[in-house]
Amino acid sequence: METSCLLSWIIFTPLIFGVIIAFLPKSLEQIFRKIALVQTLVNALIATYLYVNFDGSSGAAQFTEVVSWLPDWGINYSVAIDGISLPLVMLTAFVAPVAILGTWPDLKHVELKKEKFFVFCLMALQSGMYGTFLATDLFLFYFFWEVVLIPMFFMIGIWGGKDRIYATTKFFLYTMVGSLLMLVAIFWMIKTGQEVSGFATADFSNLSKLQFSFDGSSLSSALSSPQTLLFFAFALAFVIKVPMVPFHTWLPDAHVQAPTVGSVFLAAVLLKMGTYGLMRIAIPMFPEASHYFSTLFIALGVIGIIYGAFCALAQTDFKKLVAYSSVSHMGYIMIGLFSFQKIAIAGSLYQMINHGISAGGLFLVVGFLYERLHTRNLEEFGGLAKVVPLMSIGFMIMTLSSVALPGSNGFVGEFPILLGAFQVHPVYVLFAGTGVILGAVYALKAYQMVMLGPKTRTDLDHLHDLNVKEIIAMCVLTIFVFGIGFFPKSFFGKSDATLENYGNTLIQKVSSK
Amino acid sequence: MNLLDLFPIQALGSLEYLNLLPLFTLSFGAIGSILVGTHKEKGHTWAFSLSLLSVLIAFFQVKGALFSSDVSILQETLIFSPFTKTLSLMILVFSSVALIVTRGQDKKEGLLSEVYGLILFATTGMILMLSTQHLVFMFIALEIMSLAIYVLVAMRRTSSYSAEAGLKYFILGGLASAFFLYGSSLIFGATGSFELGAISNFLSAHPNPSFIYFVGLGLVLTAMLFKVGAVPFHGWVPDVYQGAATNITGFMGASVKFTAFMALAKISQNLVFVDGVNNLQWFKSYIWVVAAASMIYGNFVAISQNEIKRMLSFSTIAHTGYLLLGLYAMNIGDHSSRDMIVYLFFYALSNLGAFAVISQFEEKNQKDLTLDQLAGIGMKHPFLGGLFTLFLLSMAGIPLTSGFIGKYGLFSSAVNAGEVPLVILAVLTSVVSVFYYLRVIIFMFMKEPTGEAVTYQGLKGAGFAAIISAAATLQFGLFPKAVLSFVKMISK
Repeated sequence: METSCLLSWIIFTPLIFGVIIAFLPKSLEQIFRKIALVQTLVNALIATYLYVNFDGSSGAAQFTEVVSWLPDWGINYSVAIDGISLPLVMLTAFVAPVAILGTWPDLKHVELKKEKFFVFCLMALQSGMYGTFLATDLFLFYFFWEVVLIPMFFMIGIWGGKDRIYATTKFFLYTMVGSLLMLVAIFWMIKTGQEVSGFATADFSNLSKLQFSFDGSSLSSALSSPQTLLFFAFALAFVIKVPMVPFHTWLPDAHVQAPTVGSVFLAAVLLKMGTYGLMRIAIPMFPEASHYFSTLFIALGVIGIIYGAFCALAQTDFKKLVAYSSVSHMGYIMIGLFSFQKIAIAGSLYQMINHGISAGGLFLVVGFLYERLHTRNLEEFGGLAKVVPLMSIGFMIMTLSSVALPGSNGFVGEFPILLGAFQVHPVYVLFAGTGVILGAVYALKAYQMVMLGPKTRTDLDHLHDLNVKEIIAMCVLTIFVFGIGFFPKSFFGKSDATLENYGNTLIQKVSSK
Repeated sequence: MNLLDLFPIQALGSLEYLNLLPLFTLSFGAIGSILVGTHKEKGHTWAFSLSLLSVLIAFFQVKGALFSSDVSILQETLIFSPFTKTLSLMILVFSSVALIVTRGQDKKEGLLSEVYGLILFATTGMILMLSTQHLVFMFIALEIMSLAIYVLVAMRRTSSYSAEAGLKYFILGGLASAFFLYGSSLIFGATGSFELGAISNFLSAHPNPSFIYFVGLGLVLTAMLFKVGAVPFHGWVPDVYQGAATNITGFMGASVKFTAFMALAKISQNLVFVDGVNNLQWFKSYIWVVAAASMIYGNFVAISQNEIKRMLSFSTIAHTGYLLLGLYAMNIGDHSSRDMIVYLFFYALSNLGAFAVISQFEEKNQKDLTLDQLAGIGMKHPFLGGLFTLFLLSMAGIPLTSGFIGKYGLFSSAVNAGEVPLVILAVLTSVVSVFYYLRVIIFMFMKEPTGEAVTYQGLKGAGFAAIISAAATLQFGLFPKAVLSFVKMISK
């Protein structure tokens, strides 16, 4: 197998920059953001190189790198990329510079607060996210999964809003409950692997060969099967992160309190770690259990879609509205993943990327408004379209992407999900479909309250429109919105072979029972 | 009749002397440092230098003789093998860090210069305890260690709590020692031996030991559970941790816990986890229940503490619970204590570092450092705040730190032994522990300083000790391979 250290460069470039920043004197804090921007651009370049050199005709893992780490426990530092992790890595690589550009502090109005630590957290966060998506060793995956928590904990807790401490504690503890139970499941898997094969290993490909007994003859026997217990231990960790109703309550708090750049990362990338975990570990490694309980997850997904949409509808806080819209949109991914239909699974992967773009964009818009007006209350805006036309265009594009208008990227994700899932669960999909309508209602309501209608405040006239950096950020997102919307194949084509393999293996495993 | 018949002790050979040499170094170093400590002006400096020098010399003496062939002195009373010598090395590392921390604290807390000599005496007792297989000798070693610790605890003359803590610890510790001795004598009565290996063999041959064996075993186990501070024998822990000078608290949390746990592991291995003996499952359940109770009690009570040292004292009870889970898993697994050793080693280093940072923040004549006083300190002194954060994350078992590796090893071996319910309890109570560790970080970094914020007077000995511990915590958190392989090799 060909070995390459390209992926390690992607993972550790942010961290290297972070360490450099840590040793720079405080007097240089004006340029720390610029260094962060350079770092994200370097990462985007490496990621582009990776994308170009990725062999889309093969469904196998590529750019593999394995270094022995803890041989006594059978643990390696092993990273690789395939068609599932490729789009997520690209998403991270492009969202990062956009998020930094779009939240550039205007030094005339705001004072920098602990800028060095902030930039360091941003970089550590990126390293953790890349690591989570690229790890092919269960221990390494868990390692990065947990590491992501720490910078996010500080970002919300130090630079967040009024209730930041409550929000960040809730965020951390929620995730910890899930991930520590996942740790026990990891122990169990490694132990079983050792009993079967005679040597300890935590490698994904070795562990996925394990057969955990599953007895689906009755509900009680299914519930007590080892496979079910393992599946639920993993699934709990992942659905908390997604977040799926009823484990979603940390999300609105965390989003509302987080600084804008934190919200963008949280919505665009961090939530995808949950669905990625389901797609990579929970479903393929425990196929029978996940198939047996798939209806439960689809039902919760549908409830999430509708409940999230209604909650979003009721908000007057703009940021909370976008946060609840995330709960709603992530529900589609759950439906797609648990429908066990090839096309829906592919749609779920697309939706992960698309939601990253649209939610990231909407949070940027919230950030633009908050920075200028210091309020997020929807009732205090109004009639801004004439004052800030560029912002209103950007907002409109993100809204359309969010409501899955045909021709925007949202449609590319949601349509295959609903199409695939309809073949197995028509009733649920019918309900999920109402979520699309509700989604349009709350998204357009938000747009209308902010941009249209009469002005509610007199000081709105002096609002300045997007500056160059913000325009660039919105343009990049816009390119992706319509690029993916019209030419999905040229963006997701390289994932086809992997998704085909993935779907075939999964469906074969499930139907052979 | 020759001399050997009267006193049946073989003359010591050069190999025996080589292995005993570190103990001589430590004992003479201790006496010497107490003597030079009497000098009026330079007493503290000289005592510190001499004691640190003795510990370092002892370290290299043990290290030099690490892989010499096994030595057994006084008919297996003292055994020097690579295993026991590695444990001694770890103890010596803790002692040297503790000495460096003490250096910045001695004058501030009104500690006499004898503090250095006493730390050395305690270290000697610990090494003896780690090296013995004999119940009565273990008692003697325990007393050498404990007597020094009682004095160390009571020595903080700036605080009235210190005398209270010392007395409490002394009385309760004396009771535990009495339990241990009485239990040993009952075990001797039932099995005819004080030597752990011989008792284990006796049990294998006689699966139905007499009733007094179980009474004796219960007493011995209870005494050891007292020493490690497990619920329900934990009553002394918070008061002693809070009353003692902070540098001494760190030393106790690291070294005494390490030693007591290794002794408990040794006793359990030979006296409890013997296959095929009737009624021993009661004692296994005893350990199970104590482990669960310690995790739950320690973690939940720590939540409501506002004083840092008291909070950490409850958290140490919780860590005792995790370690007892490891001990319980030894019973089912391959009877190896290596995961406990790794956990204890990593925990001890983080613990020493954490208390070193606390002692840097403490002011003279202060009752105890509270959370409110820490508010905003991380922003004002990012370096020390960062170090403290690292130690707290390590104790909480978050990746990047050695605490995670320790916890991973301990819990995974417990799952391998099939003890899943207790592991689930352990991870769920860990979430509780994350809450109170985070609370300290939140106060340090996310709250505005209040009026009574601490003032910090430059890096002292404790600061350097904290840097050493932090480097170790990070190093072993990322690249623990060397430690893991080494411990695995010596515990074969």
